[in-house]
This record gives sequence, C-alpha cells and structure tokens, in this order.
Amino acid sequence: MHDFESPLKPELAEILRVKQETPSIKTFTVRFLDKKKQKQFSFLPGKFMMASIFGFGEMPISISSSPYQKDSLQLTVNPVGNISRKICSLEKGSVIGLRGPFGRGYPIQKFRKKNIVFFSGGCGMASMRSAVFAVTAKKELFGKLFLFHGCKSPSELLFAEDIAKWEKEENFNVFVSVDVPSPSWKGNSGFVTDLIGKVDLPIEDTFVLMCGPQAMMNIAIEKFKGHGFKPEQLYSSLERLMHCGVGKCGHCNIGKEFVCVHGPVFSGLELEKMHLKEG
Amino acid sequence: MKEKERADVVCLGYFLKKKNLLPYLEFLQKEKGFQVLVPLANSNGATCFEELSEENSKKIFLDSRAFFSAKKFFLPNREREFLFEKKAPSFKVHETVKHRQKVVFGLRSCDLHALNALDKLFLDFYGYDSLYRNKRNTCLTIGLECSKPGKNCFCDSMGTSKPDFFDLFFWEKKDGFFVEIGSVEWERLYCKKFFEQTRETKNKPMEKCGLKLDTENLEQILEKNFEHKIWASEAERCLSCSSCTQICPTCYCFTIEDFFIPCSKDSERFREWDSCQLQQFTKVHGGVFRSSRKSRLRQFVMHKLSFFRQQHSVHLCVGCGRCIEACPVKISLVEIARQIQKNPIGGN
Ligand SMILES: Cc1cc2nc3c(=O)[nH]c(=O)nc-3n(C[C@H](O)[C@H](O)[C@H](O)COP(=O)(O)OP(=O)(O)OC[C@H]3O[C@@H](n4cnc5c(N)ncnc54)[C@H](O)[C@@H]3O)c2cc1C
Ligand code: SF4
Ligand code: FES
Repeated sequence: MHDFESPLKPELAEILRVKQETPSIKTFTVRFLDKKKQKQFSFLPGKFMMASIFGFGEMPISISSSPYQKDSLQLTVNPVGNISRKICSLEKGSVIGLRGPFGRGYPIQKFRKKNIVFFSGGCGMASMRSAVFAVTAKKELFGKLFLFHGCKSPSELLFAEDIAKWEKEENFNVFVSVDVPSPSWKGNSGFVTDLIGKVDLPIEDTFVLMCGPQAMMNIAIEKFKGHGFKPEQLYSSLERLMHCGVGKCGHCNIGKEFVCVHGPVFSGLELEKMHLKEG
Repeated sequence: MKEKERADVVCLGYFLKKKNLLPYLEFLQKEKGFQVLVPLANSNGATCFEELSEENSKKIFLDSRAFFSAKKFFLPNREREFLFEKKAPSFKVHETVKHRQKVVFGLRSCDLHALNALDKLFLDFYGYDSLYRNKRNTCLTIGLECSKPGKNCFCDSMGTSKPDFFDLFFWEKKDGFFVEIGSVEWERLYCKKFFEQTRETKNKPMEKCGLKLDTENLEQILEKNFEHKIWASEAERCLSCSSCTQICPTCYCFTIEDFFIPCSKDSERFREWDSCQLQQFTKVHGGVFRSSRKSRLRQFVMHKLSFFRQQHSVHLCVGCGRCIEACPVKISLVEIARQIQKNPIGGN
C-alpha cells in the first residue's frame, strides 16, 4: 500500500566537523548516513535544504559548500531563533535530519562566457560561497569575476580564508566592505551598496547574483539598474518563512509564486512582476 | 455475462428510493466495511460531516450544504506527520500512514470542486503530499444535488455548480435519487438490493444562486487592482480572527511543529492549520512580510480569486459562501471583487 516516500521525510545525517566562523555563526560539515543517498546527492548553488533537529523543528538553510564536493555538504548557521540556536549547540557526531535540495538555484549554465558579479550581504554569503565555488572550479568557462560582500564589522566576516584565496586569483576582483570598521581593518567601509558605481564594472555580457537582507537587495537592484543593468541580468535570492519547502504549506507565497519551489532565486524580470512589498 | 455488462454501461445510472437511503449507507458501513461520513445537524445548530452511527443516523441533514465542509477528513486541523524514535546515537523516523477506507456522502457540487482544487495542489504540484494522498486515495465520494442554493451561495458564477469529480452522484427525484456514475471505482459502492434500473436521467445543474460574480478575467482585474483602496477600507473592520480561512473548504495552509513526548526522548512532528490572516504567518527574523490587516485580507481574497487560477487554471474559491456566513463582521469577498470591478484603478 505504502509504496512512496514523502518529500517531507527527513533523512539522517551526521555532523562531521564544526567550524566557528564568527563569534556566533558556525559552519557544519555533514554527511548522510545512507551512503547511497550521499553518493546521489547533487545540487545547484542557491538551492536550500530543510534541516531538522528532532523535537525542536525544521528550518530552511542554504548549502554553503561547493557542488563539486561530493562526500559531504556544508551548512552555515546564524543562531537567531530556537532551531538555529539548537543547531549551533550541536557537536561533531550529532545526528540531524536533512531533506532536499529544494527550490531553484542560480542558472549557472546560462552564465558561460559571461562576466559574473557576486553580490552578498551578511549571512547571504552562505549560498553565494557555493556559487563562487561552482564558477571558480571551471574558471576558464566564464569571463571576468567580481565579488562584493558587506557585513556589519570585521569580526562578522564569514569565510575570511576563502575570500583571501579568491582575492589572489587572477581575473577575480574582490571587494569587502564593513559597516563599522575596526582600527586594524584595511578594506572598504560603509554599506556595500555604496560600492556600486565606484567600481568600474563591465555592463555588457554581465550577470549579477545577489543574496542578502531584503533591504540591501532592494537598494542594490535599484543601483544596478541605475548604472545600466537590465532586469534580466540580475538574479536575487528571496527569503520568506518556510515550513514545508515543497509548495504545500503556503507560508512562502507571493502572488502566484511560491518562493520554495519557484525560487528562492528569481530573475530581475520576475521580481518586477511580484508584489514584494506586503504581497 | 458480456450482455449484462453492456446493459450496465447503457444504463448510466440507477435509482435509489428515499426510504432506502439510510439502509444503503448502513450497508456500506456494515457489509462493505467503509467508514461512512455524513452531514449531521449538531445540537448547536451547525452542520458538519461526522461518522455515521446508530445514535446519530436520525440527525442526517440534507436540506442544504453543511456549514462545515468535509475538509478536515483530508486536511485534519492537527495531524501527526512523523514519530522520531531516539535510538542512541541516532534516530528512527516513522511516517504516519493511515488508510481506512472511507465514503463521504452528501458532498455538494461545490464540495466536490473544492476537493479537485486541493488535488491539484496536493497531488500534482512539484510532487505530491503523502499525508493527503493517503487519505484521498482511500476515500470514495457520493455527491448530492443542491436544488435550493443558500443565500450566500454563488457556485454558478464560479463554474462549480455542475457536479464533477465524484464516484457517485445523487440527483433529487420524487421519492428518491437518480444515481449517476462518475468513476471506474463506482462498483465498490454498488448494491444490488437498493440500486434499481431506471429510465430517469440527471437534472440540469442548478443556476439560480442569488449572489452573482462576474468571473471573466477576474484574476487579471484583481492583479491590476492590488493597490485598490478597498483593501484598506474593508480591512479596517477585519478582526484577523481567521474564521474565513478555517471555514473555507479549500484553504489549506499549515504549519509544521515538533513536540517532545513527555517522559521520553522521542518526539513527534505535527502539522496544524495555519491562516494567512494571522501576523505570525509571514514572520521572519527581520520582521513580518504581511504586517498590515490590509495585506492579509488582500492575500486571502487574491489567493481565492486570482493567484491560484493563474497557477492551476481553476479558482481556489468554489462559491460556497461559507466565509461570508462565518465572518463576524460580514466581510464578503464577492462584494470586494464587485466593488473593484465597478470602480477599478484608472476607471473602467
Ligand atoms: C531559502 C532560505 C535559505 C536560508 N539559508 C540560511 C542559511 O544558510 N543560514 C542561516 O543561518 N539561515 C538561513 N535562512 C534563514 C533561516 O531559515 C531562519 O533564520 C530560521 O528558519 C530561523 O529559525 P529558528 O527556529 O532558529 O527561529 P525561530 O525560533 O523560529 O524564530 C526566530 C526568528 O527567526 C524567524 N524566522 C523563522 N523562519 C525564518 C525564515 N525562513 N527566514 C527568516 N527568518 C525566519 C522567526 O520568525 C523569528 O523572528 C534561510 C532561509 C531561507 C528561506
Ligand atoms: S472572518 Fe472576517 S473578520 Fe475574520 S479574518 Fe476573515 S475577513 Fe477578517
Ligand atoms: S515553504 Fe511551504 S509552500 Fe513554500
């Protein structure tokens, strides 16, 4: 009778490593207990997982590791509420539930031979890191690369080691800006959106990938458009409350779109048609 | 044998005498082993679907559609999804599977269309939902004609007054019902003792609702009037009580939450009705996406009469009028839509 698997059913996964990224944010390297599941697992950057802590609940979370990393995946967690804080209290060896990947990621195939601007703020760097890994692994297929990232303070900077490596790469221009610099901070300061227009960007044949707080993305989209980018050159990842991740519970609904299945990544053209404010 | 089969096909229906209705339902329950759900009149005046029993069989209510729809049998207000059994150092995940064979009797045309709308979402939209599919696959439906529409009904406007998506449908005749066959599974509901051959045919679908709504292009008209002033003015009265979404036969939104089982390390995951009328429905770390009553009332009406249609080709409103009846401050989605049609942004 029961010949089907529920898309809501969590698979078991083990925490292999925990890395403290900032005073509060941690990155967890996890692997499915079921070897076959781990082997078959593949995803496009921008897609997300539903992570379960049994008895506490489930939360949507981006995959921050490279799609070419096959033996495990990484989740980067900001402890803002019950479940995220509970996850951050877990140690190596703990077992969590995972299901996914869900949603629509960045259409990276479409960006071949084009220039790419990665634009992220705060925790949005989690899914952006995965996209950067996917592109830099096959750098010869793409044009010029740019990364803009903003965070509150130098101590809140995520993936500092990865960023340091990217800075050294050829054809990759990296700009990090902090809202409030510390005395030892040598990089840019102020909102990361202030850098748009100050840095010379190619507009033709360029795509912009965005992930971060809604307020930051709203400003960024307006500024990029102001500098001549067309909406179809912009891609941005939306955040909404999600309970199911599979288009059923209704929480992530905006107009006829469900962010969990039609997004979270939407093109600028799609965003223009959506009721983003109070919609 | 062959001859007889053909005779059955030519005769597209049977006749069931009114006096045999209860014996037939009891036959389905006792002989065929179905759980039989029927509309009943409660002591408090509301009508709702419950399991037929010897005590309540006299309270079967067939005069009009039930106040509460049969939604709870497909989407219960609270339902366990999983049991997580702690088996140190890991867990075992048990999925809830229930499949007692059911028959719902007395669904009106609007109720059947409501199930069809839910089917579109839960059976065929980016995969299916197994809890819903479990219940839907184990349930047969017997519809019942509505000859007297209620004062808030507008099914003929929504295109849902023509019965569809049933296994059997009972058309009201003098002294009984013409039984129309609607699916290949109907034979499981067949009863030689009560079903007589007939020359009767089905009636015309009802087309005399008092309430009317022009649905031509409605989804586009509402989309263009997202910033219409009526949303704010109607929302001033709205109490955000969510009666409208609870009573609606197609409102399906739910939350998922975990609970520990007392005195154990096991836990359970429950699904529970939620409502777009509540603030917490869109609450995230940075704030609430639909913080105003205006935006929440608009979400309800737009999901019913615009968004779902754009995605699934049918409206998520079947014109049953239950939300109008249940609203304590008499907000009516029909009235809102008509005001917008009469006076759209930018004029007609
Ligand atoms: C597609 C997607 C990808 C995400 N990726 C990441 C990620 O990589 N890392 C990360 O740390 N977080 C990520 N989030 C946000 C994360 O899901 C929420 O912060 C988390 O659900 C909060 O759950 P909680 O139980 O800890 O908080 P709760 O105790 O439930 O609530 C704490 C606060 O967080 C709010 N909240 C609940 N759900 C969400 C949500 N979906 N989005 C924002 N706020 C929410 C609550 O309303 C409340 O204000 C992502 C969200 C989405 C939709
Ligand atoms: S029933 Fe009426 S008052 Fe209650 S939330 Fe719905 S529209 Fe508002
Ligand atoms: S998260 Fe449930 S519908 Fe999108």
